Amino acid sequence: MGALDIWNRSKIGAGEILRSQIGPLVLWFKKTEDELHVAFERLPEPDTIVDAEGPTAVDGVESEGLDWGRWIVGDEMNTFQVLPIMPDRPVVVHPELPVKIPTGHKALFFVSIPVWLRVLAGEKKQIELCEVPVLILSNTWFGDTISGQLCYSLRSRARRQIKDSESNPYRAVCPVKIRNTSPKQLDIGRLCVHVEHLKTYIGDKNLWTNEVTITFRGEDQAGKIDYSKERPAFEPIGEMLSDARAPVKETILKRSIGGFKLFSGK
Amino acid sequence: MFLLAGINWSKLVTMENINSAIRIVVLLGLGFPLLLFICTLAGKAAKKRFTPQVSMLIRKGIFYFGSILLIISVLYQMGFKLTALLGAAGIAGIAIGFASQTSVSNIISGLFLISEKPFAVGDLIKVDDTKGTILSIDLLSVKLRTLDNQLVRIPNESLIKNQVTNITRFPIRRLDIDIGVAYKEDVGKVRSVLLDIAKNNPYCLDEPEPLVLFLKFGDSALEFLFAVWFVKADFFKLRNSIMQEIKERFDAEGIEIPFPHRTLYTGSVTEPFPVEIVPSKAKKPKRPG
Repeated sequence: MGALDIWNRSKIGAGEILRSQIGPLVLWFKKTEDELHVAFERLPEPDTIVDAEGPTAVDGVESEGLDWGRWIVGDEMNTFQVLPIMPDRPVVVHPELPVKIPTGHKALFFVSIPVWLRVLAGEKKQIELCEVPVLILSNTWFGDTISGQLCYSLRSRARRQIKDSESNPYRAVCPVKIRNTSPKQLDIGRLCVHVEHLKTYIGDKNLWTNEVTITFRGEDQAGKIDYSKERPAFEPIGEMLSDARAPVKETILKRSIGGFKLFSGK
Repeated sequence: MFLLAGINWSKLVTMENINSAIRIVVLLGLGFPLLLFICTLAGKAAKKRFTPQVSMLIRKGIFYFGSILLIISVLYQMGFKLTALLGAAGIAGIAIGFASQTSVSNIISGLFLISEKPFAVGDLIKVDDTKGTILSIDLLSVKLRTLDNQLVRIPNESLIKNQVTNITRFPIRRLDIDIGVAYKEDVGKVRSVLLDIAKNNPYCLDEPEPLVLFLKFGDSALEFLFAVWFVKADFFKLRNSIMQEIKERFDAEGIEIPFPHRTLYTGSVTEPFPVEIVPSKAKKPKRPG
């Protein structure tokens, strides 16, 4: 079973307890009569983190102190699925080393974003049960203290080559292309990625999102952010696993431009 | 009975009077439900476009205006002459105006508050020693629900005159914590431990960055200001967690939080205060008588 096979549908029988692990997050599933019980457990020790482990029966053994959630799904429902989805708020990416793009140049970065998990029940008509982040990112504020936006903070190496990055089943690679058409050099101290407009795709080795293209025209000029509607083309891409949380609208473009003035963290 | 017996019913029960009575019943029976319906519709429409207090004001304005129109119409149907009525209302208005200066002042203050918008329904404000969430902004007063679930009515006039702090106006806030550590402690270590606490607390924001400020050499401690930013909804969670984390982390790192103390010297700072131990004197037995 490959690491990315964890996103497939799984069967659960009455009275059965299944355990699945994605990075530091363990998922527990239990079926009793017409109810499906789901619990999450976050492993504290980094050395216990495995990449991914599909649902396996644990013969009635379950971790103590689990906080189970109960969903009435019906007697016939014996299938569930866990899918990756982008975080529910924008992510502010802090490159480990500040990046500078001279005027007239463009650069492509691969930002690895930890996904959230969406648990669905049912075979054809699926019911959404709950969502949980695999990694808990710290909160940050993007913008001024009066009218900014609450985001997640993410330290990233912002790699230039996809072959340099390690594939990880609970991180989606987001290709970000930045063009500097302004007359000045662009210093990127941090970058706000509106991940709520990104779809998630399954690739050969990685999870992927659609490409983001940012055109910087200057501090005082309105910038432009494009979210590609095409699948990323950096490795063979399979099906789309989850749609964007929010469709791209003109108003969102304006908001992104508003944040653009803080693009370089000044 | 005598009163009823004295009424000339044949004069009173005329077609004209019956028609008027029917018109009054129709006016009241249809008018008030229609007015309430219009108020509800207008309230819903205003709620989508305006702030809660503006929509409430629109709803109440329509209701009062409609009610006055209905009452005037009913009085007209009853045979009252409107010119005389308005004249009487003018005289009554002057008398009432003198008698209700405070109310008028509150109404005008309320209009200023609504136009100035220093706060909105749902904001947490502090007026003098009272802290609470705004339930409604009315023409005469503002109603607050305090944190211990009591209703406080504050006249608009006093809100205009006094200082009002809107605690939740902006989306993020800063929590300032005063911390004192013993003089023997390493200032750099204290600073790095505090920043690490902020970094690991899920309710602290990364940006704006947490601040550790060495304030002064206090009487009993080196005094620091530890300031962290948070989303306004996380106030209680942050305050509870970070205070506990500071205590636990300082204990683990061996950083002493001193209590106020005073050192006595006997002329030289290097020599200890002399203490002489003297044997206790044996008590002499008391003689009887």
